[in-house]
Amino acid sequence: MPSIPSYFSVQFLAILLPVTVTTYAFLPQKPRRIVLLLASYAFFWAVSGKLLVYLLLSTLSIHHFGLWLADNQNRCDQALEQAQKENRKGIKVLYQRQQRGIIAFAVILHIGVLAVLKYSAFFATNLNVGFNLLKLPATVAIPSFVLPIGISFYTMQALSYVLDVYHRKISADRNLFRLALYMSFFPQIMEGPICRYTETAEQLWSVPPIEYRNLTFGLQRILFGILKKMVVADRLNLLISNVFNSYQDYDGFVIAVAAVCYTIQLYMDFSGTMDVALGIGQIFGVSLTENFQRPFFSKTIPEFWKRWHITLGAWFRDYIFYPISLSKPMKYLSSKARKRLGHNFGALPASAIALFYVWLCNGLWHGAGWHFIFFGMYHFALILSGNIAEPFAANIAHKLHISREHPLYHGFQIVRTAALVCIGEMFFRANGLRTGLAMLKKIFTDFTFNTIVEKTFFSFGADLYDYIIVAIVLAVVFFIELCQEKGVSIRERISTKPVAKRFAVYYALIMAIVIFGAYGDNYVPVDPIYASF
Amino acid sequence: MKIKRTLRGVAFIAGLMILLAVSSYLLVPRNNTAAAGMEATSANGILGEKENSIDILVLGDSESYFSISPLQLWKEKGYTAYVCGTAGQHLTYSNTMLHRAFQKQKPKIVILETLAIYRKMSLSNVGLAEIARYFPVFQYHNRWKSYDLKGFKNGVKYNWAEDYKGYFYSDQVTPAQNLEYMTPTEESAKIAKTNRYFIQKIKDFCDENGAELILLSTPSTQNWNYKSHNGIAILASELSCEYIDLNLMNDTVGINWSLDTRDSGDHLNYSGANKVTHYLAEYLSGRGILSDHRGDKNYAHWDECLEKLNAKAKGTSN
Amino acid sequence: MERLIKILKDIEPEINYANCKDLIDGHHLDSLSIIALVGELEEEFDITIPTVEITPDNFNSPESLWAMVTRLIEEE
Repeated sequence: MPSIPSYFSVQFLAILLPVTVTTYAFLPQKPRRIVLLLASYAFFWAVSGKLLVYLLLSTLSIHHFGLWLADNQNRCDQALEQAQKENRKGIKVLYQRQQRGIIAFAVILHIGVLAVLKYSAFFATNLNVGFNLLKLPATVAIPSFVLPIGISFYTMQALSYVLDVYHRKISADRNLFRLALYMSFFPQIMEGPICRYTETAEQLWSVPPIEYRNLTFGLQRILFGILKKMVVADRLNLLISNVFNSYQDYDGFVIAVAAVCYTIQLYMDFSGTMDVALGIGQIFGVSLTENFQRPFFSKTIPEFWKRWHITLGAWFRDYIFYPISLSKPMKYLSSKARKRLGHNFGALPASAIALFYVWLCNGLWHGAGWHFIFFGMYHFALILSGNIAEPFAANIAHKLHISREHPLYHGFQIVRTAALVCIGEMFFRANGLRTGLAMLKKIFTDFTFNTIVEKTFFSFGADLYDYIIVAIVLAVVFFIELCQEKGVSIRERISTKPVAKRFAVYYALIMAIVIFGAYGDNYVPVDPIYASF
Repeated sequence: MKIKRTLRGVAFIAGLMILLAVSSYLLVPRNNTAAAGMEATSANGILGEKENSIDILVLGDSESYFSISPLQLWKEKGYTAYVCGTAGQHLTYSNTMLHRAFQKQKPKIVILETLAIYRKMSLSNVGLAEIARYFPVFQYHNRWKSYDLKGFKNGVKYNWAEDYKGYFYSDQVTPAQNLEYMTPTEESAKIAKTNRYFIQKIKDFCDENGAELILLSTPSTQNWNYKSHNGIAILASELSCEYIDLNLMNDTVGINWSLDTRDSGDHLNYSGANKVTHYLAEYLSGRGILSDHRGDKNYAHWDECLEKLNAKAKGTSN
Repeated sequence: MERLIKILKDIEPEINYANCKDLIDGHHLDSLSIIALVGELEEEFDITIPTVEITPDNFNSPESLWAMVTRLIEEE
């Protein structure tokens, strides 16, 4: 069991969740909102204690900024109505300037808090390195802050809310409690999904009664998520932490396997947590935004990012990519480029610049470290080179008479994409950029199969049975995802079966978790991975 | 419709309970040996002791099993003690061991070594330990890997007994340095709420089963100080139970910190344990609750065990 | 509308636009094509498309795109 209370801890699954669901079920509509809000703050308190203040301040802040923007917009509209036609442009510019000031203030404030808490240590460390290189006799103290849980996630929600108000996509919410619930809903506070105000605020506020179908569907999804996380992700941890912590002792084959296992662990951990989050949401009749859409069926890296941590990608797309690539200077650049480079590449320079910022932010969002920045740049390079090479690839395929719609070609694409992702995740997990590079070098220069003979894989406190159970659960997950790819809803299917069979499904899931879960004396508890970003 | 669904829910939970019980029965170790999958075998050796043969039950962490030697107690006064101490014991496990021991035994005295009272417990572990008391599958689930169908047919039988009755023999000597570790202070160490809850449960269980709970702080220069002492003294008066702090009575106990510790004052060695046990023997005989079993045929194997320990101490064994 | 289809054909020739309703949701148009499309539309119809208009609702079908374009022309 993880050392910090998470969605997989006994106290959450056996106490907080059942208590919240039952009190919610027996109360009329209005108090239900209070139950959800209290449960959310209780959960936050259990994980981060007094740091709850940060969340409360953020909530108050966006409430205030939203109203401020709305008030300014109203005054602008009134002024425009009363003004003469020729004055309108001036008024528009005036108010736009005020609007920009307010939104800049809001954005800088929220990003500033996040930056100070999350990046100041990284910044100070690198500053000291710089001083050292320049032989300056100066050092700055390296600050250390304890991050409130989920700050990277709720800050994104806060920013999208104020930005949407600014763009007049939504009108500012006067109800502080509705905003508070939008910001803090407990299943998503720790690892997302990062939802927009339009997606969840009203849903959460409507607090419908618990329905049998939602309850059962939600429970099944929660159990499935726990299965992924506790049987697979936690079990692989011994191998992964051993190899990543002392990669020097292992050859390239072991490192490659560990990189693949880490990607599997990350996927099982994160998507399992999302299954729990969305399952809980469903019990309360809320459909949170999906964060995964079977990413390992992707044929290209851009497609992968549309199916992996979807809400983060969408956030960067809407609030960084388009605003930059469609800003005035970029539009000018695009129209120039189009004339010179033609349709295929016209938008490329502008989108490359925008993409660069997206991936820089994406890397940094995951944490302060050069290997995270490298991770971002790696995917930036992959996507950009993919865009540039695409017309040529199409051309070559045409000339060689390779059908790009052939299943075999698709299979090749899927494997290639997965391999590229695994390499990226290896850097993501490595203890620093230099380690990541050294590991990559070992994969290509020190690749032998000696370890199979030497039984290295059984030296991590994991035996053959551990690997067998991992393989079985992965096969089940693969089968289920394959069905979903084909548009079959497993849970719909189950709901048409007789009671005995339905019970059997729950019993099988629960007993598989109880017996095969990697918890207890022989397993080191694994903290939820994404909660630390 | 509503009634039907409620009934269905009840049936579901009942079915789940049955499944957990069955799987618990299937996965519980068939014997209390390490080979059968039992954890902390020296402590769980008590399960193999003859019914109603133990007078004194000792709970606690490594301090308890390095400091108290039941066979020395046997030699001096003929009392039978068993140390159910485990490394880094949490009070949840003390509680579990207490319940396990009382299944077959009816000790009159329960001694809890006090260092365990301060050991922090995560809520998760507490929850798991409590569930595991009712459904052992939560503790022994990993045994599916070494599942043995033959053993299953034989049922659950705990018959393995440990020679030293839970005591850990050590003849190492590493002198302690910080001899002034008991400087008086008014401060008292805090006992966490969860720990307080479990100590109360242990006390209540002892009361209900007619056993007296004694809190005992064994000598340790590294793990004990006056602040810890004050915390337990307050606790003892709240629980109204006996508290003995040997760290404050070294004039009587006579620990020589350059000879009697195995690891610089962290734990005691054989000669240190004998001194502590000697003090305990005198204290318990002064209380006059227990009777001397020496010479009783039913307890003959205690003499055999004593001989083994003596042999080991003389270095003639192995 | 025909001008719009022609622009779309220029950018992504392989798609059958006649009854396509999931240009975005079906991953037919990637972000690169969307930027190109926005640029072309702005030039062709002399409008400005603010970023808030770039939503799946507006971009999923040629019809919805056309609706957006005509709306923006009126607002100019």
